[in-house]
Amino acid sequence: MVNQPKIKMKVVGSDRDAGEVANVIVDPVTKFLSHIVVRTEDGGQRVVPLDQIADVSEGVRLRCSAVEVSGYPPLCRDDYTTVHEQELAGLEARLDVDPGHALLPVPEGDRDIPRRSFFTKFTIAINAVLALPLAYPVFKFLIHPMYGPFDNTWVTLARTDQFQDVDTPKSYRFRKTLKEGYLERTFDKSHWAMKASPETLEAIYQGKDVEFRDKNGDVYWVNRRNVPYVVFSGKCPHLGCGYKWRSTKKYAMAFLCPCHLSIYDIAGTVLTGPAPRPLDVLPTRVTPGGDIETVDIEFKAGLVGRVRVI
Amino acid sequence: MNGVAKQIYDWFDERAGLTELGHKMLNEPMPGGSRYTYVFGSILVYIFMMQLVTGILLMFYYAPTADHAYESTQYIIHNVEYGWFILSFHFWGSSVMVVMVVMHMSQVFLWGAYKKPSELVWVVGTILFTLVVAMGFTGYLLPWDQRSFWATTVGIEIADKTPLIGDFIGQFLRGGPTTGAHTINRFFVLHVMILPLSIMGLATLHIYLFRKAGPAGPYKRDHKELTKTSEYFFPRQVYKDSVAIGIVFLITCALAFYEPVELLGEATPEPGDYNPVPEWYFLFLFQLLRYETFSGEWGQIVGSIVIPVAFMVWLIAIPFIFRNPERRPWKRKFGIMTWAIILLAVAYLTYDYSITEIH
Repeated sequence: MVNQPKIKMKVVGSDRDAGEVANVIVDPVTKFLSHIVVRTEDGGQRVVPLDQIADVSEGVRLRCSAVEVSGYPPLCRDDYTTVHEQELAGLEARLDVDPGHALLPVPEGDRDIPRRSFFTKFTIAINAVLALPLAYPVFKFLIHPMYGPFDNTWVTLARTDQFQDVDTPKSYRFRKTLKEGYLERTFDKSHWAMKASPETLEAIYQGKDVEFRDKNGDVYWVNRRNVPYVVFSGKCPHLGCGYKWRSTKKYAMAFLCPCHLSIYDIAGTVLTGPAPRPLDVLPTRVTPGGDIETVDIEFKAGLVGRVRVI
Repeated sequence: MNGVAKQIYDWFDERAGLTELGHKMLNEPMPGGSRYTYVFGSILVYIFMMQLVTGILLMFYYAPTADHAYESTQYIIHNVEYGWFILSFHFWGSSVMVVMVVMHMSQVFLWGAYKKPSELVWVVGTILFTLVVAMGFTGYLLPWDQRSFWATTVGIEIADKTPLIGDFIGQFLRGGPTTGAHTINRFFVLHVMILPLSIMGLATLHIYLFRKAGPAGPYKRDHKELTKTSEYFFPRQVYKDSVAIGIVFLITCALAFYEPVELLGEATPEPGDYNPVPEWYFLFLFQLLRYETFSGEWGQIVGSIVIPVAFMVWLIAIPFIFRNPERRPWKRKFGIMTWAIILLAVAYLTYDYSITEIH
C-alpha cells in the first residue's frame, strides 16, 4: 500500500505536472481513501481513483498522464459531505488526514432532492396524523375537574339566640364535606355572621334586596333587606385570605385582612387597603327553629364585580 | 491503574471513548484562568442534584393526596430516622438555590458575560430562573399545612388576575375552583416530574450553549495576558468549585439542623389565628400588593401581572438591549445601575414587609 496522499501535495503525471491534491475522498465502508481530487492547472477538479497512484513521497506520482487526469470525472461537490457533517466512527484511528478536508460521498439514494423533501413532508404528515387526534382527548383529560356545577346546599352556621348585641360579628365554623374526584373529605370552614343594626343593614343593602343566582342564571335565593341577620363570606375579596374582626389602630373595630392589610367597616365597605370591592354578603335564611343558615358560596377575588366560583 | 484494572478500563475506553469524553469535558480552556467568581454555575448543578436525591428519598414515604399528605409529612418528620433532616435539607435547599441563582445571574450580568456570542446562554438561563422559582412555589404546597394552603391559594389568585387566560390558568393549576384534592395532585406532578425534567433538559442546553460560545473570561481584554494565564476547567476550577460547594453544603446542613421544618396545622380553608405568609423570596411581591398604588382591580393587575411580566421580558431581553461589546462594569453605568436598583427595590420591599405591623 502506498503512503497516504495529503492535501496540497503536488501531483505529477507520467508525462508532466498534473496539479495538486485539493481533497481526499473517504470510502465509508473501508474507512480509507478511495479517490483523490486533483486540482488541475486550468482550475478544474478531477476525481482520480487511488489505484492510479504509483507512489507517494514528497508528492503524488500517478501511473496515468496529466492528459488522462483531465479525462476523469469532475468533482460534483454536492454529492459529498465533509466528515464534520457526517458521523463516521473510528475514522481518525485509521486515517491521518484533517477531518474537515476529507470528503465523504453522499449515498446515491440521498442525492435526489425531490425525493428527500417528499420523505420529510410525509414524515411530518404521519406524525401530525398520530398527534392531532390525541390533542383533544389529552386536553379534555387535563381539564376534567375544572368546571363543575355550583353547590347550593344550605349549611347551619349559628343560632339567632347567639346574637345578644347588634353589630358584633363573629366567625362561625362549620364542617364542610366535599367530594373532589374520588376523594371525599370533611374539613373546617368559616364565615362571619352578625345581627346588624338598622343603620348597618341600610349600609349593606343600600335599599336593595340581593339576588343569588345558579350557574344557569336562575335566581334561587333573595336576601331581603329587612332581615337583620347577615353573613359575610370568610374569603377576603382582595386575594382570598381569611380576614378578622378586631381592633385596628386607625378605625377602632373593623374587619382586617392580615395578608395585604385591607380594612372594611362593619357593613363590609372598604376603608383602606387594596381590596377592589366590599365584603361579599352570602345567602341567609332563618329557620323556624332559629337556625341561621347560609350557602357556602365563594366569589372570585380581585374583581370589582362578583363572579361566583363555587 | 495497572494490570487487570488497566485492561478492563482499556476495553471500555476502546468501545465507549471514555478518555476522549473526559478530556473533552474537563479540558475546557478558561481565558484568564480559574476564579472563585465562576463557582455559581457548578454550585447550582450541585444543589439541583441534592434536591433530586433528597426529593426522591422523601417520595419513599410521602403520599401526594389531600387526605394523607399532611400525615405522611408528619411521619417523615417525627417517625422516620433522619426524616426531619432530609426534609429540612430539601426545604432549605430550595432557598439556597434561589439565592445562588440570583448570585449566578448577577455575576454574569456584572461581568457582561451575557454579551455576544453568549446571548442564548442568558436567555435559556432566565427560563431556568423561572423554573427554579416555580419549583419553590409548587413544593411549598406539598406538606399540606396551613402555610402551604394559604400561600398557594393567594398565589393562584394572583395568577388568576392575568387578563384573558388568568381564569383558565387558575382553574387548571387548582384542578377546580378552590385549593383542594386535585391541586395537590397537580402540584405534585409539576414538582416531581414536569419541572425537574424541564430543568434537566434546559440545564443541559444551557451548558451546551455555554460550551459552544466559550467562557467569557475576565472583562479586561488583553488577549496576550488572557492566553498566558489561561487554564483548563480541571483541575483548578473544579477545585475552587468544590471548595464553594463544600461551603454551601455546610450552610444548608446548618440551616436544616438549627431551623428544621415544623408544620403548622393541617390545611383547611378556616385560617383560625394564622396570618398567611409566602416563602421569603416572594415577600417583596406580597408587600408590593399591599400598597395603595396597586389597589383595586386595575392596580392589582399592574402589581401582580404587569410588573412581574415586564421584569421577565426585560430580563430575557437584556442581551439584546445592552449590545455594546464593552464589558468593563465601570463603563456600563446604565446597565449596572438598573441591576442595582432592582435588587435594592426587592431588598427594600422585603425590609418594608418585616417592619410593617398588622393593625
